[in-house]
Amino acid sequence: MDSFTPVLDGFAVVLQPTNLLYCLVGVLVGMFVGVLPGLGPAATIAILLPLTFDVEPVTAIIMLAGIFYGAQYGGTVTSVLLRLPGEASSVVTVFDGYALARQGKAGTALGIAAIGSFVGGTVSIIALTFLAPVVASFALDFGPPEYAVLAVLGILLVATVSNGGRLKAVVAATVGLLLATVGRDRFSGAERFTFDSLSLADGLDFVPIAMGLFGLGEILYNLESRDGPLRPPAKIANVWPSGQDLRRSTGAIGRGSVIGFVLGILPGGGAVLSSLAAYAFEKRRAKDPSRFGKGAVEGVAAPETANNAAATSSFIPLLTLGIPANATIAVIFGALLIHGVTPGPQLVDEHPELFWGVVNSMYIGNILLLVMSMPLVGVFVKVLRVRTSILAPITVLITLIGVYTVANSTFDILLVCVFGVLGYLMKKFGFEPGPLLLAFVLGSLLESSTRRSLILFDGDVTGFLTRPISGTLVAVLVVVLLLPLVARLRRGGAAPPAVETDDTAPAADRAPVKPRA
Amino acid sequence: MTTGTRPAAGALAGYGVAAVVVGLGTAGVVFSLGLGTGTLSDPAAGTWPLFVSSVLTVLGLALALTARSTNDAERFVPASLKVLVGLGTLLVFALLVGTVGFEIPAVVLAFVWLRFLGRESWRVSIVGGVAMVVAFYLVFVVALRVTIPHLF
Amino acid sequence: MRRTIVTGVRGAATASVVVLALAACGGNLGTAGGAGGDFPDGPVTVVVGQDPGGSTDLIGRAVAELASDELGVALPVENRPGANGAVASQEVADSEPDGQTVLVLNASLIAITSLVSPDDAVSLDDFTIITGISRDDYVLVTHPESGLATLGDIAASGQTLDFATTGVGTGSQLSQQLLFHQMGVQGNDVPFDGGSPALTAVLGKQVDVASIQLGEAYPQIEAGELVPLVVFSPERNEYLPDVPTAVEEGYDVPVAQYRALAVPAGTPDATVEALRSAFEAAFADQGYQDFNEQALLTPHEVSGEQVVEEWTAAKEKYESIVEEYDIDLGAAG
Repeated sequence: MDSFTPVLDGFAVVLQPTNLLYCLVGVLVGMFVGVLPGLGPAATIAILLPLTFDVEPVTAIIMLAGIFYGAQYGGTVTSVLLRLPGEASSVVTVFDGYALARQGKAGTALGIAAIGSFVGGTVSIIALTFLAPVVASFALDFGPPEYAVLAVLGILLVATVSNGGRLKAVVAATVGLLLATVGRDRFSGAERFTFDSLSLADGLDFVPIAMGLFGLGEILYNLESRDGPLRPPAKIANVWPSGQDLRRSTGAIGRGSVIGFVLGILPGGGAVLSSLAAYAFEKRRAKDPSRFGKGAVEGVAAPETANNAAATSSFIPLLTLGIPANATIAVIFGALLIHGVTPGPQLVDEHPELFWGVVNSMYIGNILLLVMSMPLVGVFVKVLRVRTSILAPITVLITLIGVYTVANSTFDILLVCVFGVLGYLMKKFGFEPGPLLLAFVLGSLLESSTRRSLILFDGDVTGFLTRPISGTLVAVLVVVLLLPLVARLRRGGAAPPAVETDDTAPAADRAPVKPRA
Repeated sequence: MTTGTRPAAGALAGYGVAAVVVGLGTAGVVFSLGLGTGTLSDPAAGTWPLFVSSVLTVLGLALALTARSTNDAERFVPASLKVLVGLGTLLVFALLVGTVGFEIPAVVLAFVWLRFLGRESWRVSIVGGVAMVVAFYLVFVVALRVTIPHLF
Repeated sequence: MRRTIVTGVRGAATASVVVLALAACGGNLGTAGGAGGDFPDGPVTVVVGQDPGGSTDLIGRAVAELASDELGVALPVENRPGANGAVASQEVADSEPDGQTVLVLNASLIAITSLVSPDDAVSLDDFTIITGISRDDYVLVTHPESGLATLGDIAASGQTLDFATTGVGTGSQLSQQLLFHQMGVQGNDVPFDGGSPALTAVLGKQVDVASIQLGEAYPQIEAGELVPLVVFSPERNEYLPDVPTAVEEGYDVPVAQYRALAVPAGTPDATVEALRSAFEAAFADQGYQDFNEQALLTPHEVSGEQVVEEWTAAKEKYESIVEEYDIDLGAAG
């Protein structure tokens, strides 16, 4: 049990009253920040860094880590209530979370999200404590070929998460892939679709696209319907998840924890892929997949559990290899530098109390979140009692100010307007924004990993099959592709076709205009 | 939405959408060809965009084939003009924020949305608009020190 | 509908007049107060062309924090990422030359980026350099099982080596391209998105070597998980005294990341001087010197004139070597 002693010492550090207080402050600040999509935890932490100069490194880091997970929960709140996903990993939550909120069940969604996050975090931290050294090499074995195959798998999953016509989902996803190519080519430096604009040189940012397609598009769409009597505020059906909701979510939370833990180990893309995979998995397992996208609790439980489990296991590469897994952790460790501690593989040996203090503070933060969200959920759901006519300008202002903070640029405000119009038009013409956005996120991962692989293979495409992990993933891919096909053949060929065959599938696209209740 | 089902747009809209998709795909193909297409084993900057835009073009043609049988698009209605008004306030905000700060454009935006797009009373619109911006200022500028341009 | 909108505009206009009448200072808008005013006139914005958390950002924040004591006003840091810093540079170059906007400028943008993307080449003529800051060295690393321990091993390996770079048009790419070409060794240029992914690729044996900024690779070198082969600085790095430089080994590859503080050209001399003394006070601070040590930066606090001289020379040198060896940084593979 040697490995466990520093973990317990870490808890002792976190539970000191001062540290607990800073943790609480961090969580609270984070929740506010999370409401502003685009500002993001990394930027906030950078802004608030000077405030921590006067305290102990451990305390400072605990507060900064508090901002990290507080912001994640804040992002969930805006995803559910306002349809504003601030981070790629909460896009999937929007599908069912917002649908639940529209049915007056925002409390269910937020409650399940808090519980799922807590369980996911708990499972992940226990697994991290015991398995970190064993699974560390997993992150290193994932080279460009493995990421390429994983990205293909992810993009296939994108098509399964949508509800409307399959063909339109595939069109939207393809547009997403095309948007991902905007910007300077990262291999040759060639300008692609940038129209000589420096603002486009680094490509399009996720936040303005997400805010535009989801939040702004929805608001513009709703403007049209207000000619009739004002929409009454949604009835608040319940503040808490019911026993049935909890029973339904148990399996999703369990599976989400495992998926999140495993994929979270991969630096780069792990969190997004984990929430997507967890959602797709639940949808595929469900007896009645059509409930998904219309307010299925599992559709919130699975991705929220998975992305939190992934956030915790993303500490593994740092713990064992000294590699920060995402921008936020990079900033936190930049803060360590300023506090005179050099982060790296030896951090755990040299400053165990610091490392475990941070990891455990994430855990305590989860508990704080769970405790705080009890009274807060009641407050949050009241937002839905506010008339749409008042909520709309608030949401618009949050969106505009939020996207500005991504890169301190008014260009992004224009961009969010463009994507708001696109979101509106897509909704008018029966397209869903989800596939477009997720394909956009995975598109650059797919292209760059594939090109990197081909350079390493000297252009030999069979290289993907001969490496053990990528070969296995390719096999999984084939199974995923063939399963529905086989199932359909056995049933007589009436089911919607799989992605690859979609462009020849006219019959699949007969969804009528949704009667909007 | 209490207004019930919205009017469907018919096949013409479907053809329009298909045409836009085909147009986007074709433009993408032309652009990608200009970037150099490379080969499968030695991709260039244009290889992947060429592949994606070709697929998009084909999908657009498929959309055209199915336009007659699908019926999930909605027609534009007179109320769609409100969307243009709303968009106008957003653009005004975007163009002014850099020079005069966010406060005044935000008050204007909130006011227009409350009074004209939301049909709130004058009093609610004026008080609400100002209150929103004050709240934003206090939370984001004073408390969180967000770097949005501000006048005060 | 039209009528109501017009009324709305009028109402808003009245509102804005009232608001303007109440206007007090305190905003962060560029106040075009005109030249001749006292400097500093309110907060001095330090613009960083990279995302928060990177080394340029951390350096900017460390310097800004300390200089603020000396100047007596706040120095908020504003991240304006895009095109390797070209977006931020252009914005600052176009801003009022009153010293209220300062840029943290990377030498790579001046000397290396232009080799790949001539379009967003930034010209030093648009700026007055206040002072140099520090030097960030690139080190060529490999994993312990590669069997490579010196440059000689690379030359003798007789096979094509995969080398990871931190991106196209970076010092990491330039240093390795120059080295491999001068050694006459076949190399596969594999660009990654930044230091961390490149580092992960070497640790995972996906590639053979990588050129990485010292601050990022040092902990792994210390832990014995990476083997340093050579540094690309003009003289040996004080943190890696046993590792030879490429120049010592006989290869003409002096590549390092230098950073400097700049204001738009045309800023009054007295203002530049006031900023210089504020930053010099920051450099003298013990806390800042400790930060340099933690971040493995070598101070290079030279005058603005010397910065211009060094960077211009580097640019010319890179251009001539790239031409001599017929290197195309844009053709990865």
